Amino acid sequence: MNEWLTKNWLSITAPTIVFMAFFVVAIWARRTLFNYLNGLFFKIKWEGSEILLRTTKTPFFQWCLLMGAYTAIQISTLSPQAKVLAVRIIGSVFVISLTWTIISLAEKLLHLYLNRLKALPLLPTTIVINVARITFIVAGVLILLDIWGAPTTPLVLLLTIGLLVVILASRDEMLNIFSGFELARGKLIKTGDYVKLESGEEGYVSDITLRNIQIKAPDDRIILVPNSKFTKTTVTTYRKPLKKATQPFRFYTRLYMKELTGLKAGNLSELVSILKDVPDSVVYYHTHNFMEEYQYLTPQPANEFAVWVGDVIGDEILAEKLSNIDTFEFSTIGELRERIIAVINEELLTRENGRTAAEGREFHFIKSVNVILPTPYVAHDLREFVEVLRKVSIDSLYFHIFESRLRLHKGVNDFSVWFQDCLDERELADKIAVLDPYNYTLEGLRSVIIQLIEERIK
Amino acid sequence: MEKAIFHHPRAKIQDYAPIVGRSTIEELGALAERLSGKVIQNINSTFTGGGVAEILTRMAPLLNQLGVDARWTTIKGSEGFFDVTKKFHNALHGRKEHISPEDFSLFLDVNKKNIEELKFQGDIIFIHDPQPIALIAKKKELGEKWIWRCHVDVSNPDKKVWEFLRNFVVEYDAAVFSAPNFAQQLPIRQFMISPSIDPLSDKNKELPTEIIDSVLNRYGLDKDRPIIAQISRFDYLKDPLGVIQAFEMARKSMDCQLVLAGGTASDDPESEKVLEEIRERASGNPDIHILLIPPESDMEINALQHAATVIMQKSIKEGFGLTVTEALWKGKPVVASAVGGIPLQVKNRFTGLLCHSVEGAAYAIKRLLSNPEYALWLGKNAREHVRQNFLITRHLKDYLLLFISLYYNSDEIYL
Repeated sequence: MNEWLTKNWLSITAPTIVFMAFFVVAIWARRTLFNYLNGLFFKIKWEGSEILLRTTKTPFFQWCLLMGAYTAIQISTLSPQAKVLAVRIIGSVFVISLTWTIISLAEKLLHLYLNRLKALPLLPTTIVINVARITFIVAGVLILLDIWGAPTTPLVLLLTIGLLVVILASRDEMLNIFSGFELARGKLIKTGDYVKLESGEEGYVSDITLRNIQIKAPDDRIILVPNSKFTKTTVTTYRKPLKKATQPFRFYTRLYMKELTGLKAGNLSELVSILKDVPDSVVYYHTHNFMEEYQYLTPQPANEFAVWVGDVIGDEILAEKLSNIDTFEFSTIGELRERIIAVINEELLTRENGRTAAEGREFHFIKSVNVILPTPYVAHDLREFVEVLRKVSIDSLYFHIFESRLRLHKGVNDFSVWFQDCLDERELADKIAVLDPYNYTLEGLRSVIIQLIEERIK
Repeated sequence: MEKAIFHHPRAKIQDYAPIVGRSTIEELGALAERLSGKVIQNINSTFTGGGVAEILTRMAPLLNQLGVDARWTTIKGSEGFFDVTKKFHNALHGRKEHISPEDFSLFLDVNKKNIEELKFQGDIIFIHDPQPIALIAKKKELGEKWIWRCHVDVSNPDKKVWEFLRNFVVEYDAAVFSAPNFAQQLPIRQFMISPSIDPLSDKNKELPTEIIDSVLNRYGLDKDRPIIAQISRFDYLKDPLGVIQAFEMARKSMDCQLVLAGGTASDDPESEKVLEEIRERASGNPDIHILLIPPESDMEINALQHAATVIMQKSIKEGFGLTVTEALWKGKPVVASAVGGIPLQVKNRFTGLLCHSVEGAAYAIKRLLSNPEYALWLGKNAREHVRQNFLITRHLKDYLLLFISLYYNSDEIYL
């Protein structure tokens, strides 16, 4: 042993001294370099500096030692085959260490940044980290195989084909995911926004996921829109936060049928005589029916008493006077009835009874029987209200504007009551309350109310 | 006899949404829900032929689609029975008929036999027209809701027949008439439900120009000249001679052609005579076309109505006048007499022009031909008026409301 040492001391000592030198330099370099980097990062205030320094400090030292080992082997007197084997082992350890360090660093930095990017709610942190981890491991394995002389081309091809198959199989999903990134990057929408799609679907964005956007419609339906579809369609967003009502507004609708009373008048005296005794629902029918029956007409025909007196009795003057009775002035049907009777009686004082209606053209008294039922539509704020108002039937609009005011003796329309009592929107409530609905077609009235609300929430 | 109506190949209720709006279909669904568990049994005299069968053929499947259990049963009757009910029908229209005591007895006997044989299964028994009216005798035993639907114009009925029928009508929970002037003084509730047209039927659907042109070619009509058309049964009550007169007056100053198209009724020997008379009256005038349209020619009638510039219905007496509804639905300016149910549809100067004389009709034709923009405005209003008031969806809504209202007495029903 002594003899062997005497012969080979130099070939052992030199690599050892070189390795020890690398060890010392590594200690010094780590301290110097990391102190410098600490100072540098402190100046530029990079948030990831601590992660970078903490994660790489130990591996840096290891890599210096590996470099020392590599240099020592190179100057040693080992056989070439032994040197190759040793270098491969050192290279493999280095690749494993480097891969491990990069993965660790990437994980920590991704955690840091994905959590901070609140505008990207759809980015699933675990999926992104796993994708990064797999990518680095695959790269590391490929380098290792290369170091050990294994053929990597078939593996690279296999991986590429596999990746393509996965992409093709999940292209819709990928589209959704990328669309989701696009939506998030552009900050186009966020939870709580009110959106309206080109297809007519609308509601509040209740959730944004990797694959789709959930929209809660005013009738409580949940609509799922794939992200890819969402980015391709025209979307109107209404972001302004609106005050929530203390009580939601439930839209009702009113459908009516005509009940025949069997009563008919052939002249003005008979008209007045019967009019005195019929129920309110009869007077209501003949002073409001035209609103719905001729709702498409501008100007609409007058109340049915006026039309009959003009067309059948031929008394144009009285017809004009009856047409001019402003229904909006009256808060009860009884008052309206009294006014109609007074106008006819006034005329009868100054002239004959007038013409008698031809057979078959008598005035037939009809009663309105109303059936009132709830619709699925509910509004919690002005935005929801205006969107529902666009789609409810004219029967629903009619009920809340005309029925509630006059026939149900509320004196004001339902919308104004809700605006004032549940949203504290006094000005808007007043603007709609003073609208004379008899001067509009129902569709015209709908447009005016929508316009007033939109101006308020603009 | 009960008809299987559940798989009828006609239009689906959703097919009407583009025409009347989704909210209207939703409202029908909401009403139908309220009738869940109730069986509506329609009873009439025939599954085929006649207006009632046509209405039920369309309505019953749509009610089923909405979730209402609507069924359809017919009564059985001998030839003699239907001869009697035909007399009743004419008498209710105001025509003089000799009806013997034996006729009344036969009517009652057949109804009684049907009471014994029929399977009554409805929570609401919906009787159509006079033929099965006496089935009401079963009400005491069943205790269900009974409605009598009168499809006949009873504005001026023969008193004897009406009094006979009235005894049965007053036992019902409600009666339904098609127009206000058909209403009678009755101790029961009476509702008004106007008839309707089906916008998806062959008679009323949109047609391609090629079909319209081919029909015009077939009948030798010039598509480049204005067409004045009256499409109605050949009957004195439709005043075809008055239409020719009015046309001739208008033709003096306006270039146009007249089409009088219609069919003859097999049970009306007078119609052949009317056709002969108007052919003779029109002979020698190349601008007047008398077209005898075979039965089941709905597409041809539709094409003629589409091709017309002005449509007339110069009736002397009229029921509801569904031919007017069809014309209005096609967006045509209509000139019509103010009789029967026509004023309900033609609001003078808003949805068409009403006339009371041959001269009035001629003047109206000239006004429309010389003012195409006004004619267009009237036509547009006319179509909207029908959309709002006389389509089958409104008819369905009225029936659903009628069934629901049987269970309430108030004028305001909250569901």
